[in-house]
Amino acid sequence: MISFIGRSVIQKIITLFFVSIVSFLIIHIAPGKPSQVDPMNPKFTPEVVERFRKEFHLDKPLHVQYLYFYKNLFTGETVSWKDNQSVLKKIWERFLNSLPLFIVGTIITWTLSFPIGIRSAIFRGQFYDRSATFLSYLLISIPGFFFAYVLIIFVVNQFHVPVIGMETFGIGDGASLPHIFMDRIWHLLLPSVLGATGGIAVLSRYVRSQMLEVEGQDYIRTARAKGLPPEQVHYKHALRNALLPFVTMFGLILPGLIGGSVIIESIFSWPGMGRMAYEAILARDYPIILTVNFVSAVLVLAGTFISDLLYLIVDPRIRL
Amino acid sequence: MNIEEKGVNPDFQFEAPLAPKRTRLQEFWLVFRQNRLAILGLFIFILFFCCAIVGLFMTSGPDPLFDPAMIRLQEKLRPPLAKPNLDSLRREEIPSLGFYLMGTDDLGRDVFARMLQGAWVSLTVGFVAVGISVLIGIFMGGIAGYFGQHHIRVDHILLTLLLISGTSLVMAHSIRFGAVLLCLTLAYIFYSFSTKNRSREKTFPSWAKVFRKNAVSVDTLIMRIVDIMLCFPSFFLILTVVALLPASIYNIMIVIGLTSWMGTTRFVRAEFLSLREQDFVAAVKTLGAGNFRIIFRHMMPNAIAPVLVSATIGIATAILTEAGLSFLGFGVPPPHATWGNILSDGKNFIFDAPWLTFIPGIAILIVVLSFNLFGEGLRDVLNPKLRERH
Repeated sequence: MISFIGRSVIQKIITLFFVSIVSFLIIHIAPGKPSQVDPMNPKFTPEVVERFRKEFHLDKPLHVQYLYFYKNLFTGETVSWKDNQSVLKKIWERFLNSLPLFIVGTIITWTLSFPIGIRSAIFRGQFYDRSATFLSYLLISIPGFFFAYVLIIFVVNQFHVPVIGMETFGIGDGASLPHIFMDRIWHLLLPSVLGATGGIAVLSRYVRSQMLEVEGQDYIRTARAKGLPPEQVHYKHALRNALLPFVTMFGLILPGLIGGSVIIESIFSWPGMGRMAYEAILARDYPIILTVNFVSAVLVLAGTFISDLLYLIVDPRIRL
Repeated sequence: MNIEEKGVNPDFQFEAPLAPKRTRLQEFWLVFRQNRLAILGLFIFILFFCCAIVGLFMTSGPDPLFDPAMIRLQEKLRPPLAKPNLDSLRREEIPSLGFYLMGTDDLGRDVFARMLQGAWVSLTVGFVAVGISVLIGIFMGGIAGYFGQHHIRVDHILLTLLLISGTSLVMAHSIRFGAVLLCLTLAYIFYSFSTKNRSREKTFPSWAKVFRKNAVSVDTLIMRIVDIMLCFPSFFLILTVVALLPASIYNIMIVIGLTSWMGTTRFVRAEFLSLREQDFVAAVKTLGAGNFRIIFRHMMPNAIAPVLVSATIGIATAILTEAGLSFLGFGVPPPHATWGNILSDGKNFIFDAPWLTFIPGIAILIVVLSFNLFGEGLRDVLNPKLRERH
């Protein structure tokens, strides 16, 4: 156990090191320089550009820039090139905005896909199963931005509520507390439903196939032959065994924390992580792009690590 | 006992097939036909393919039948099936069909012509991107699975590092130093090739033996590269690279292809690992077939099924990614229409001209859905375990 933890931590640190090199190279070798973003701006004189390059070590060779960047990142001194604010502070603010979207989306995904998947496994091949299958293909295939506009048209025409942004503009003055609360809920609902659609489709299919796998086992036949009621067979004998792989998926949802959705957040003007990353890409704000990339790589690695550990703890058959 | 001696049945031959004679393709079709959704997917896919090819010929050239770039400001935001106002149009501005099948956009351009033009973009992006990723995936997965147990020596790694740093130095304009590095590396490679057949152990002093130690196996190396690639958030990575590169449709195809080969690599490696141990491979090897022939003639046909399925679904994902990029305003430069940027242009008129959102959106949905359904149908057909269960 201890040796497994030690080995995988070392392996993950090495992977992270290479990820940092590759992302740094991708950004810096690509054509276009951050000091030339706005060449038409009269304030951008050659002296300013020179000072800019000196300030952010852009005049040094690449490997020195790399060392400077990651030294600053680990000491928390990295600043955005655009507004000279601390990158970590900016990311933390945006992260707090994205968090409610992520939490609500995850809750919707997990609470909906289990009942759907279990039910379609029990009624395999029947009308319910076939329509659920078709619906999940539909949800996987629908482009998120198109679905967003369909939902916006529907909600705005039917309920006459504003949905863009995190809250209605200027609602803070004079509105009652429940009113503000409901307003926030309405604004939260659409983006998180959109974030959950793909997840519901994939996860419910996975639940279905896991349930089918278990329902074919001998012990389920034994349970039926004993004359147990079908509910007990499905939910006590089958479901508990089918749940095993899903424990590990708790680790794998971790990267979703930072990935967010660039498209959904920019449609709904939601000031979250994805939108910040998108704006940083447009402005060639390399520190933010690299930091977001680095943090998300850390989350991916941590997620796989946690899911490996959970599997070790939950499944006694696995011994390393 | 001899059959002819007993004379039971003089017509009986052992060579005659006992089961009904069906080729593999017929067998395949018989199973596939039962999956109605997959048939629907295949049908829509063929339809889309024809539309895209016809659309390419009808919308390109100096005098196209449907001109996607023709601007008629007096005819803007006309709903689908609207008749053009013949008095205000010049002769060449009248749409070829006599009416606007899918309406016009905010500049009065015919949406039908733009959709036809965009179909070709979606088709090529899907196929080329997946083609690139499948090629890389088969190559990497094949090497990892077949030559996985071979080891890479320390000097190989050092040489590769020298080559890469030399090339990047040349590209970063410090040509003299880079060229020296490159020449040194090439000289060493040439030297080691020329001395390959002699006994090398004596020519090296003991300190140099460190360089000839085995560092990592090929399999470990390739799987670590896959792990590294999987750490990047894929849409964000694609967005970054596409935003930094000059806008062009080819860049999008290449970038999507280069960031989506990891799944194929894993499939091919897993298949090769199990196939390599099987008797028919050992038999071919005993017959003296070369590695190349074993891999491509004997192992690849057995390993191709999961790759085909993931490629079909990969096409759907690539089309969605391209549409998302066009929607965000990256990719194909503006006058050229893609389904993503028709939708993106139409979003400002979402309540006045909903067809500008719905027509491209539904088109993307149907095409992606058809690829997904077809892919799932293929998975059922190619996987005998799943087939029995249904």
